[in-house]
Amino acid sequence: MNNAIEISVKNLNLWFGKFQALKNISIEIQKNQVTALIGPSGCGKSTFIKTLDRMNDLVDNVKTTGEVLYQGMNILDSDTDVVELRKQIGMVFQKPNPFPKSIFDNVAYGPRVHGVRKKHNLNEVVERSLKAAALWEEVKDRLNESALRLSGGQQQRLCIARLLAVEPDVLLMDEPASALDPIATSKIEDLIYELKNDYTIIIVTHNMQQAARVASNTAFFYLGELIEYAPTIDLFERPQDKRTEDYVTGKFG
Amino acid sequence: MARTRYVRKLKELRQNVVDMGAATMQSVEYVTTSLETSDSALAERAIANDNVIDTFDRKIEAQCMSLLALEQPMAKDLRLIATSLKMITDLERIGDFVVDIAEEVISMAKPIRIPVSATKFNELVDEVKSMVADSIVTYAEGNVQKARSFEGRDDSIDTLYKNIVDNTVSMLAQSQCSMETVADVASLLYIIRYLERIADHAVNIGNRVCYMEEGDRRYMK
Repeated sequence: MNNAIEISVKNLNLWFGKFQALKNISIEIQKNQVTALIGPSGCGKSTFIKTLDRMNDLVDNVKTTGEVLYQGMNILDSDTDVVELRKQIGMVFQKPNPFPKSIFDNVAYGPRVHGVRKKHNLNEVVERSLKAAALWEEVKDRLNESALRLSGGQQQRLCIARLLAVEPDVLLMDEPASALDPIATSKIEDLIYELKNDYTIIIVTHNMQQAARVASNTAFFYLGELIEYAPTIDLFERPQDKRTEDYVTGKFG
Repeated sequence: MARTRYVRKLKELRQNVVDMGAATMQSVEYVTTSLETSDSALAERAIANDNVIDTFDRKIEAQCMSLLALEQPMAKDLRLIATSLKMITDLERIGDFVVDIAEEVISMAKPIRIPVSATKFNELVDEVKSMVADSIVTYAEGNVQKARSFEGRDDSIDTLYKNIVDNTVSMLAQSQCSMETVADVASLLYIIRYLERIADHAVNIGNRVCYMEEGDRRYMK
């Protein structure tokens, strides 16, 4: 793990009320790499990535301690501009959630919010983003159609295009392919592989084979702790911790 | 314990590899005894036993492929399957060398005499037998400590091998042997070469067991 570090998390703890969901997490996320987070349900992996763009702020009674350093700042600080942060660190969710608008307007939504008004500029951003999300060829002749008419896999790639339109650095993906069929899944995985050239990607997945296929590094979470973090090949071929071994071989419990 | 059926399949795989190892060991026993007792019939049995080894080879390979394709094994399970898949090739090759030795035994004049370095020759035979047996035990038990001793034992075998070859060549150079004796000596040279190669495969198995147990590829050549 010698690459540049995009996000450095130090001693992160998070409580929902009295329940401690994350326990002293320290991890360095490499720039322009795919990092996969795996672990059983409730292990804290989704909570962890939601911390990285302050999505947990939307939940009541959340308390965090520790540091999440991104571009030299602790994003957990109260003076962090959360809107700007979420432009830099965007999230793709498990179920595709396009707006009930046209394909074009979905992708143009972010740039418009951030002040891009000229039609010419918007056209350019929409085309570039749809191309980067490997969707352009499939939708270029029907940009004004409702996004809701796209297939699930296309909707998910549209959501990725919508994210790319605001030119983020980091893409957080929470089970981005779990609602998709194998072909749509492989398109998303190919896309993730391509996108890592320009973005840092963190993906939460229940599918260990998916982590093995797309990620350079994989982190195993269990009961709110980061148990093991290693190059993916090492984690799946020779894990160091017995709990990781038991989880990846499916012998948990 | 989750994945009961899968765990059972892994156990069956391991047992089959051990059984294949036992069949290979049986062949080695047949052929070395045939050499000691000049028993061509036993050499024939060693040759016939190769079919058993080859059948195991095909069956275990299919088992490994099925586990890889259907179960997505990871970590130690993955290493067990990878090790088994490689190890059966070593065992199969040992079986082939046994056949080669058996064919030499059959072709040699009876009773078979070891014209030179007889003590060292017996030492070589015993050590090779012991290494094959131990390699199978290390796999069955996952005994890394024993597996690591193989490299040193292989060095001793190489020294013995070289020593016997040198003595035999000197003997041939100095004596007026009959053509028949020269042919038998040539057969013996082949045999010790095959024995030395068998030991190499036992070493491979030991190294693979280290990888299987610890995930460390340093020992694999």
